[in-house]
Amino acid sequence: MQFKTFDILPHGTTFDFVGKRRIAVVLSLIINLTVIAWSLPAVHGLNFGVDFAGGTEMEVKFATAVDPGAIRKSLDEQGFKDASVQTYGPDAENTFLIRVGRIALMGTEDVKRVEDAVRAKFAVKTVAFNPEIGDKLDFQFEKPVVPAELQAAVEAAGVKVREVREEAGLTAGTRSFAVITQGIREKVEHELTTRFAESKPEVRRVEYVGPAVGRELRNQGFKAVLYAIALIVVYVGLRFDFRFSPGVIIAIIHDAIVTLGYFAFSGREFNLTSIAVILTVVGYSVNDTVVVYDRIRENKAKYQGRGLADLVNLAINETLGRTFLTSFATALSLVGLLIFGVGTIFDFAFAMVLGIVSGTYSTWFIAAPMTIWLEERAAKRKAGPGAAAAVAR
Amino acid sequence: MERSWLGRVALVLVVAIWSVWQLVPSYHYFKLSPDDRNGDVYDKSVPGWGPDAKKHLNLGLDLQGGIHLAMGVDVDRAVKAKVARRADEVAEHLKEKSIAFTLVAPDASGLRIAVATTAAGDVEKATLDFYGSELYAPGGSADGQVLFAFKDQVLREFKGKAVEQAEKTIRNRVDKWGVSEPDIKRKANNQIQVQLPGFKDPAKAKDLLGRTAQLEFKICDDENAAFDAVRTQLPACPSSRDGMTFPLPDGGCWTVENVELASGGARQSTMVVTNKRPELEAIITARLTPLLEQGRTSVGIGEVVVGQDVVRQTYYRSYLLRSKTELTGDYIADARASVDNSSPGGGKPVVTFTMSPDGARLMEKLTTDNLHRRMATVLDDKVETAPYIQGKISTNGQITLGSGRNYQEQFEEANAIALVLKAGALPAPVTISEERTVGATLGPELVKKGTLSALVGLGLVLLFMAAYYRVSGLVADVALVLNGLLVLAIMSMIGTTLTLPGIAGFVLTLGMAVDANVLINERIREEMRAGRTVKQSVQQGYDRVFWTIVDSHVTALVAAVVLMQYGSGPVRGFAVTLTIGLVASLFTSIVVTRTIMEYLTRHDTARLSV
Repeated sequence: MQFKTFDILPHGTTFDFVGKRRIAVVLSLIINLTVIAWSLPAVHGLNFGVDFAGGTEMEVKFATAVDPGAIRKSLDEQGFKDASVQTYGPDAENTFLIRVGRIALMGTEDVKRVEDAVRAKFAVKTVAFNPEIGDKLDFQFEKPVVPAELQAAVEAAGVKVREVREEAGLTAGTRSFAVITQGIREKVEHELTTRFAESKPEVRRVEYVGPAVGRELRNQGFKAVLYAIALIVVYVGLRFDFRFSPGVIIAIIHDAIVTLGYFAFSGREFNLTSIAVILTVVGYSVNDTVVVYDRIRENKAKYQGRGLADLVNLAINETLGRTFLTSFATALSLVGLLIFGVGTIFDFAFAMVLGIVSGTYSTWFIAAPMTIWLEERAAKRKAGPGAAAAVAR
Repeated sequence: MERSWLGRVALVLVVAIWSVWQLVPSYHYFKLSPDDRNGDVYDKSVPGWGPDAKKHLNLGLDLQGGIHLAMGVDVDRAVKAKVARRADEVAEHLKEKSIAFTLVAPDASGLRIAVATTAAGDVEKATLDFYGSELYAPGGSADGQVLFAFKDQVLREFKGKAVEQAEKTIRNRVDKWGVSEPDIKRKANNQIQVQLPGFKDPAKAKDLLGRTAQLEFKICDDENAAFDAVRTQLPACPSSRDGMTFPLPDGGCWTVENVELASGGARQSTMVVTNKRPELEAIITARLTPLLEQGRTSVGIGEVVVGQDVVRQTYYRSYLLRSKTELTGDYIADARASVDNSSPGGGKPVVTFTMSPDGARLMEKLTTDNLHRRMATVLDDKVETAPYIQGKISTNGQITLGSGRNYQEQFEEANAIALVLKAGALPAPVTISEERTVGATLGPELVKKGTLSALVGLGLVLLFMAAYYRVSGLVADVALVLNGLLVLAIMSMIGTTLTLPGIAGFVLTLGMAVDANVLINERIREEMRAGRTVKQSVQQGYDRVFWTIVDSHVTALVAAVVLMQYGSGPVRGFAVTLTIGLVASLFTSIVVTRTIMEYLTRHDTARLSV
């Protein structure tokens, strides 16, 4: 027998993972609950990107240095009170990410003001505003009105109009109109190119997402994560044992929440790519858990009579090297993205590394020790009355 | 060595050679500057022995620049238009059955048909006998009026058809436009998604895709003297012997035009002229419409340009039209921009069109019935032209552009109109609900950074494996490089686009692929520690770890496939790249490394550094 190895982690270790489970569970609970609480809009909330919040995002590069405060001020003067201006990438690039109109293009107050102004001038039959669309007001009048006058009335209330659309064709005496308010993109672009002309702003990327679309994407993203978790749990159950399921579910949700924590605490933008990271973490981190579970099962058959805590510790220790090394190798591949990645891609890599670390941690300290707790519960039930029904599952 | 091993060697070699061969077009594609990539230069640079030149790696919108639009179809408006058309049909039907009625028109909601009649019972019976599958009478008949409502299912069908038609139209327009590799999809909530990679002019894209392009032919009601009444309400336009003099007074004025009547003779017809379109709209609503019998006649707006560039004047005028739409653009088979050399003052850009056989029949009847009357061509609620019908027209027609501007602008406009006419009209206006534009300068920079990130990640992983596992690490490295090539080759073959998150996905699959080799090598170490020979350890290691590797790939694939269903654009690119990467990794980690490892440990006394 001839071979040479060196190990990062020595083999034949006997760390007592099971013994630390109480501390680990408390720690994890605190972290998870804090992330969830922090992500709630009432407490702090996630910084939703335009994908999910709707609005306009522009990446603008200037030829010379520009003070982000000056950009913010000029946008503020244009009435974009909620505009956010962030430096994007290294300072030397003079690139900024400008985001406007994060929640809705028109608030309820604006709508009320417009409605009052229009009612004061015309005999209004009905007014409808759908906050999901956010930029469209539907009016029905008792008598035909002139589109230009309607537009003037709306603009007098402080809301710029892009289009007044007659709802039943131009030629009849129309009484139904849709008032569509002006997009913010054109206005921001115009403002920047005039105010900062000497710095030669270049709009490199524009993303505009209507609020209704944003809401839709958000719901779908949440559902996608749930579907992925469900499918993975079913697969693991079918391949191994449905008794694995509770531990796998807990571990997956744990890792997903820790990954979410990166976006919650850093305040970085939460967007479609963030959902992609969470899904990838979910699909990746489950592997370590399954490897350890499988080893526990194997060892149970091999060393009959040893205590469960012993068996779990043994399984984790036996697989320690590979669990660590696989995670390490995957994280290593992301280093390039961490160095050169800007914006969304940096966030992707960072959150992914965090998810990988969390996946390893949750396997060792949460998922594996959980089997003991589950077995204990099952044993208690077996002892109690009506045990047959519980076991039959 | 055994036969199955030889078979695997052959397979690995074939895959490796195929991957490199498949990447030949991509190599030539990226060697060229972005401007040359889509032309002859590229086609010629791909050697004849290579694969189809079209099968190169595509860059996504975010990397090569381009425009992504999601457009919401205003289905309510489409439904109302459909209801109005149905109302016309009902009127025709009642006329045929000789049932007395005064007016058939949509009611205030626009969703129901109101028939004004004294014979309510007959109207209800005759209409429902024929349109019973769509309509019902909810019983709101009063004041000599019968109301017909559409069944819910019919309205839903109208909406579905509208979105379907809009998608078809947009697809037609993009196709006729020659954008390379556009992507058009129908999405939930009456949305249509359009991706135009490499397209540089978002304003033009929005203009061409957003045009409704509803073309209608209507007959001018020149016999009608209704507008003469405005002569007492508005000032007369200032005029000289040659015609109107400018500037026109604000608020509009009236003037007359000489019209020839179909019955012979001529009369002076009153029209209203303004400087701005909103002014004319105001006058139409306040003064002109009340003069007309609703449902019979209506007012159209035309834009007129006189003079040349510097001294040119644009004004807006009214037309008195019969309400009925005689013929629509639906019957147009082909359209193109050309130059009419017969027009006074030299060539003028026009749109010429060819009717479909059905359309030609209708046009022939229309022009025969209305000989010597004027026929207005109304495009998106604007009267473009209203010439006299001089003779029978059937297959070929021509639209003279009403709007002025210089020759070049006119010709471009003619081109745009021809394109949208040919591609068909949108059933309703569309609004843009999502727009993502990436400028051309951003892409190359991102490609550079992305490539660098991937190379650094790959380099670190290769180094780590070689340093930690020595020979078996190098074996894994060979497999890893092959994995990378294979992923790119598959992506080129099936035409997936590489997006920025896709690059991240590619990097990640390299990490996951090496993951599998770590599992294998650790297992081999374990077997060796248990006292087996190197040869046995390798065999055992691969056998035992096989299912673990399959499991880890399947769970990751599940997540990737779910993401593929959910995501769009760049994120979908990530999911696709990840999926391909995982499949390739299964092959390289299990088949490729095993084949090499078995060769290295073919003798029972073999040594191996793991």
